[in-house]
Amino acid sequence: MAKSSYNPFATAQAQFDKVAEFLELDAATRELLRNPLREYAFAIPVRMDDGTTQVFRGFRVQHSDARGPSKGGIRFHPQETVDTVRALAMWMTWKCAVVDIPLGGGKGGVICDPHNLSAREQEQICRGWVRQLARDIGPLRDVPAPDVMTNAQHMLWMLDEFETIHGAHLPGVITGKPVGMGGSLGRTEATGYGVVFTVREALKELGVRPSDTTASVQGFGNVAQYAIQLYTQLGGKVVCVSYWDQSDQCSYSVRRLSGVDLAQLLGVTDRFGGIDKAKAKGLGYEILPGDAWLEQDVDILMPCALENQITGENVGKIAKRVKIIAEGANGPTTLDADKVLEERGIFLIPDFLANAGGVTCSYFEQVQSNMNYFWEKDEVLGKLDVKMTSAFHAVRELAKKRKIYMRDAAYVIAIGRVAQASKDRGWA
Amino acid sequence: MTEQGDNLGKLLYSLHERAKELNCLYRIEEVLSQPQLSTRAIFEKIVKVIPAGWQFPDMCQAGIVYENLTFRSDDWVDTPWTQSADIIVIDEYVGRVIVSYREEPPSGRDGVFLKEEERLIHSIADRLGHFIMHQRMKTLVQEYQAAAQEFERTRRGDWQVVLEMLRHTDRNLYLSISHKMLNHLCWAGVGEAEQLLASALPDQMSEQDERYGDTNRPYGRRAAGITEDMSREIFRLAATHLTDDEIFSRVQKWVQEDKLNYLINPLVSLNTPLPDVVDAIRRYHHIAPQDAELPSATSMNVRVALIRRFFTEQLRFINIAKSYIDVADYFDLLQNIIYSADSHGKLGGKSAGLFLAMQILLKDTTGGELLANLRVPKTWFVASDVTLSFIHYNNLNEVVEQKYKEINQIRLEYPHIVQTFKSSQFPPEIVKGLSVALDDFGDVPLIVRSSSLLEDRIGSAFSGKYKSLFLANQGTKQQRLTALEDAIAEVYASVFGPDPIEYRAERNLLDFHEEMGIMIQEVVGTRVGPYWLPAWAGVAFSRNEFRWSARIRREDGLIRLVPGLGTRAVDRTSDDYPVLVAPGQPNLRVNVSIEEVVRYAPRKIDVINLETNTFETVTVAELLHRHADDLPVLEQIVSVYDGGRLKRPLKGQIDPGRDDLVVTFEGLISNTAFVKQMQHILTTLETKMGQPVDIEFASDGKHFYLLQCRQQSSGAGAVAAPIPKDIPPERILFSAKRYVSNGFVPPITHIVYVDPQQYGQLADRSEMLAVGRAVGHLNKILPKRRFILMGPGRWGSRGDIKLGVSVTYSDINNTAMLVEIARQQGNYVPDLSFGTHFFQDLVEAQIRYLPLYPDDQGIEFNERFLTTAPNMLGKLLPDHAGLADVIRVIDVPACADGLVLNVLMNADLDEAVGVLGRAAAAAEAQESGFATDAPGQHADLFWRWRLSMAEQVAAAMDADRFGVKALYVFGSTKSGSAGPGSDIDLLVHFDGSERQRRDLLLWLEGWSLCLAEMNYQRTGYRSPGLLDVHIVTDDDIERRTSYAVKIGAITDPARPLSLGRRS
Repeated sequence: MAKSSYNPFATAQAQFDKVAEFLELDAATRELLRNPLREYAFAIPVRMDDGTTQVFRGFRVQHSDARGPSKGGIRFHPQETVDTVRALAMWMTWKCAVVDIPLGGGKGGVICDPHNLSAREQEQICRGWVRQLARDIGPLRDVPAPDVMTNAQHMLWMLDEFETIHGAHLPGVITGKPVGMGGSLGRTEATGYGVVFTVREALKELGVRPSDTTASVQGFGNVAQYAIQLYTQLGGKVVCVSYWDQSDQCSYSVRRLSGVDLAQLLGVTDRFGGIDKAKAKGLGYEILPGDAWLEQDVDILMPCALENQITGENVGKIAKRVKIIAEGANGPTTLDADKVLEERGIFLIPDFLANAGGVTCSYFEQVQSNMNYFWEKDEVLGKLDVKMTSAFHAVRELAKKRKIYMRDAAYVIAIGRVAQASKDRGWA
Repeated sequence: MTEQGDNLGKLLYSLHERAKELNCLYRIEEVLSQPQLSTRAIFEKIVKVIPAGWQFPDMCQAGIVYENLTFRSDDWVDTPWTQSADIIVIDEYVGRVIVSYREEPPSGRDGVFLKEEERLIHSIADRLGHFIMHQRMKTLVQEYQAAAQEFERTRRGDWQVVLEMLRHTDRNLYLSISHKMLNHLCWAGVGEAEQLLASALPDQMSEQDERYGDTNRPYGRRAAGITEDMSREIFRLAATHLTDDEIFSRVQKWVQEDKLNYLINPLVSLNTPLPDVVDAIRRYHHIAPQDAELPSATSMNVRVALIRRFFTEQLRFINIAKSYIDVADYFDLLQNIIYSADSHGKLGGKSAGLFLAMQILLKDTTGGELLANLRVPKTWFVASDVTLSFIHYNNLNEVVEQKYKEINQIRLEYPHIVQTFKSSQFPPEIVKGLSVALDDFGDVPLIVRSSSLLEDRIGSAFSGKYKSLFLANQGTKQQRLTALEDAIAEVYASVFGPDPIEYRAERNLLDFHEEMGIMIQEVVGTRVGPYWLPAWAGVAFSRNEFRWSARIRREDGLIRLVPGLGTRAVDRTSDDYPVLVAPGQPNLRVNVSIEEVVRYAPRKIDVINLETNTFETVTVAELLHRHADDLPVLEQIVSVYDGGRLKRPLKGQIDPGRDDLVVTFEGLISNTAFVKQMQHILTTLETKMGQPVDIEFASDGKHFYLLQCRQQSSGAGAVAAPIPKDIPPERILFSAKRYVSNGFVPPITHIVYVDPQQYGQLADRSEMLAVGRAVGHLNKILPKRRFILMGPGRWGSRGDIKLGVSVTYSDINNTAMLVEIARQQGNYVPDLSFGTHFFQDLVEAQIRYLPLYPDDQGIEFNERFLTTAPNMLGKLLPDHAGLADVIRVIDVPACADGLVLNVLMNADLDEAVGVLGRAAAAAEAQESGFATDAPGQHADLFWRWRLSMAEQVAAAMDADRFGVKALYVFGSTKSGSAGPGSDIDLLVHFDGSERQRRDLLLWLEGWSLCLAEMNYQRTGYRSPGLLDVHIVTDDDIERRTSYAVKIGAITDPARPLSLGRRS
């Protein structure tokens, strides 16, 4: 029998079906939520630098706007398949719902390879995309954001085109804008802090003071650095951090049992989170193999680097002492490893709850843009704390009440909220 | 005083003396360069300057005798303690220089005068001789010019007046013109003229003359004995047979020609020493009136002769250069050449390339404003044969034999040669030249570059084989001079270095003489804090061999741009990247996402530290942090990273303390004419030189400086491989006819083929990720640069990994080549990545990229071989055996009767072919730019030697003593792919006590160190040890863990060695 090829949308639907079964959703709601609400596909003709015209395919999938305007990235990708985009749009719906922000899920993009395009050509694609969808996106309808191969510059082009068409200042149509151009302060800290807000709450649940705990962190990028900062402020001690070494083309773990001094370590770190081994050694850090972070005798593990890091092969190396794993990265745990963690009763804070600080801050950016009033950083981070904390407890409560694994509980809550909103609206 | 102190005293004294001598020469030079002074005034000044150069200036006096004039120090007394040197002008004694002491000085080892003083006085006399000659020429020319004007005035008048004047001013010329007129009359058939001619000959040879044409015997010599009386007779005849106008124009032409003879004669004769050639051109420059056009044939003759004398005998170069380099163009160049009195040297390849390129560009009129800021840094040249005079002067002649010694001997002796050279002295005339050069430069940093006669020749890539040295050029004049001499000596020594000699030996260039020109070039730049650096610099190629998009054509070129010194753009470093731009498509960037741009931005910068006098590498961050305000055109170099995007800063809006700055050159590329200028330069040079070129360049923020220009194919590994048309079809594995670049791919022994169809059918994302992981594992265990990766679509996909295998650079960094296969899917062919996910890493590591379109017409793709050849994946990676349908690992020699896969790439034809053949074929077909990496005739030696050493180790091993059951060799030594830097992988089957294990390791360690030293002497590759020992036990073998899998392995198994004594 020929194998059927991998289809991410089918996978996402299967996951939904599992939760729908658990929630005992009715057939209409299932039908509504297991497929996107709306899909747009259109052509974007672009005059190229050499004078020829090339036609690019653009699209946008709005999976659900039951709880608020759709929200999701725009990607430039040479061979995007609609199924991938559908899956990602659905995932955005759940992600917004789990932290209880009033936004739905969407995703879109253009089939192109920016490596083959000049900046001017990319600008034309961005503007063309907005022209085609000018009536179907907006601060109150659908809010795009940067994604694969797009960045703040693309967003500004799109914003400019949108505002030109509508003849108004409408910065809330897009998130991911630079500070001063409608962006929000606190964005760099948001994801890392969000991870630690949930860790803090988990420790409360376990009745452990943060100052009595130690942690090991995978990755030393933006998320990891701010997670370490806040966790240390709370009194915790990070003893091990892993990072990617560009010149050796492999990762290393940097360990100091007396605790990592973040400021000191940042002093020997490059922009990409690469630590200068020799200098770190001089500061009293041990240099260990890349996967040593996982094997540390600590209370908390925070994988904040890449997907598929905790696998069936290495899950056995996790120390007995480990109580909490907070997934700062997307999908750091493989399915088989996840089963082991569940069996061991480790307190897992699933990725789309733990790292939801980012999407929450995007929501704040949209709110600020809509009212054209921008908060100070403290205010942003304070509000983030409130959102993350209550989101955590909602998931935790459900997990306790229904005696289910945290990851499942997060899905159940998210899908439950969207289903409820759809029902309330009389859609199903 | 101790003996040591005494010696030191002597040394210091002698150094002091040398400095005095130099100073003396120097001041004489100053006096001579004052054009407003009369000859008399000059000589008067010089006799005052001379005594300062002698050991006891207070009692020293000097004199110059010139013709009937005598110039002397005040209070001159005749004494017996005197020395003198003759002043010679064109082989004729015209006077002399005298130095003497008024009273008897304390005499040293050499007598009253030092040896150096003897040389000094001769140098002075030589210099005066040249000066006098120059003066005379000037006078003569003034007279000529007066005569010429007279000619003009009396144009219709009496040519006799002109002749008469000539007779008075230049009798020789008068007679020579008479002779020419006589010949002219003879050819015109004037009988009386023939008689007159006959009477001028000592013997009658007319009979022989009748026989011309039918014999190989030479004609009898006609000694021309024209007298003044005859002259009158000749012109009387002329007057009767020719019109006044005709006589006049003839005479005028001959006078003109004569004026140029001094230029042409020394050039046409190869025996003329360089100084005479230089003088001739200098005279031509000074005296030839602007409108004195050489007749075109003469002009070409002179141009070619000059190119030969100064640059090269290479016909190809001459053929191009003769159209662009005029006699007048040499003048500025000549001011800056340092040579010895009898020099016959040239300036070398690098100088030639740069000079020609610059002349082409200066004469180009199509660029308009684009070339307005083009410059060449101030450069001085040392003629190539100064190498030899340096060697002779210091009695180092035997060093020339060095090249015929064994390579390990050469390597052993090389450090001593360097030291000997550096402690040797330059002949005084060279020191004088260098001293003048240094004054011309001032204290800007310098680069001393080799400009070998072998360098940049067609077919041999000598670039980088000889040294180039940076000098901070700070301190006192003496310190700077010493440093410069040191650097030149070191560059000279590098001629005798093992690497160049080995390289020459391989290319049959060993017998070529060792002359090497030197270029002393000002380092373009400005002072930034304690550093000196250009704002930016780099290299550019007129052909792009690393295209990252199908829209970029080869002829769009490639620029590698870095901040600071260009060394980081020229060399490839693994942890830093230059900014790449294709001048023909400047808007298509390699790095598109912000993350890519930042990741691949240059992070380090090469500078010259003026305070410590050293060449240094500092981080961009550090430099910007401390000295951003000093950096010129900062806004062209950096972008500001802010809130997830890169902003191009406005001038003066950068706050280096606060802003996160990334080197992008965005301002330079987008806001200035730089890219257009570069494209114009590259296309102009390529068109005019008739071949692809590469250039080095730098800018101080104001001007664009051309530093070097040579043909591009001399660059590393970029030679187009010939693609034979008669390859049997069954031998072809794949062919390609789109987006092919040039590049050398070593013979391939293993193929990792990710089947596009099977990969597309994987149902689970985690399975696709596993494919990536398996490839990563294979990358670690397959022989480095001897395997290729072939896979569907886009290698390195993230996110949507259906498009291609998800790998990072570390998963593929050992492959020789990355192949992307675009199979038709339904009605479309997927876009390929062109390696963009890690493009710059591929470039720096010289990993080649090839896209395959198997469904295109006329394309071969032997899918059958790829899908049916035995797959060893399961054996190599049992954990990944389940992926055997998707990943196929093919041991090529095992499946193809010992043949390997040779990938021949030819960008000129836009064709590539992967063909099964013998390993040697590839080596012949393509010449790698890296001598040591090239699988040339020496390649075999590396592994053979290693294998024989491994056998020796085994034979010498007391197996019982160490508890060794068996010994194996594996890896590159066994597979025959070992290079000069490879280690020897030994696998020990061990079954002994802990103590035996320790003893064994110690024993092997001794071997390892010895072999490493031997290998160093053979190849120049240093390693801390040559043996890489892996110990396995019975247990390992049973469980097939660690290296035990190598024993009896499916592919590339370890080879057993026979052990020594076994009691």
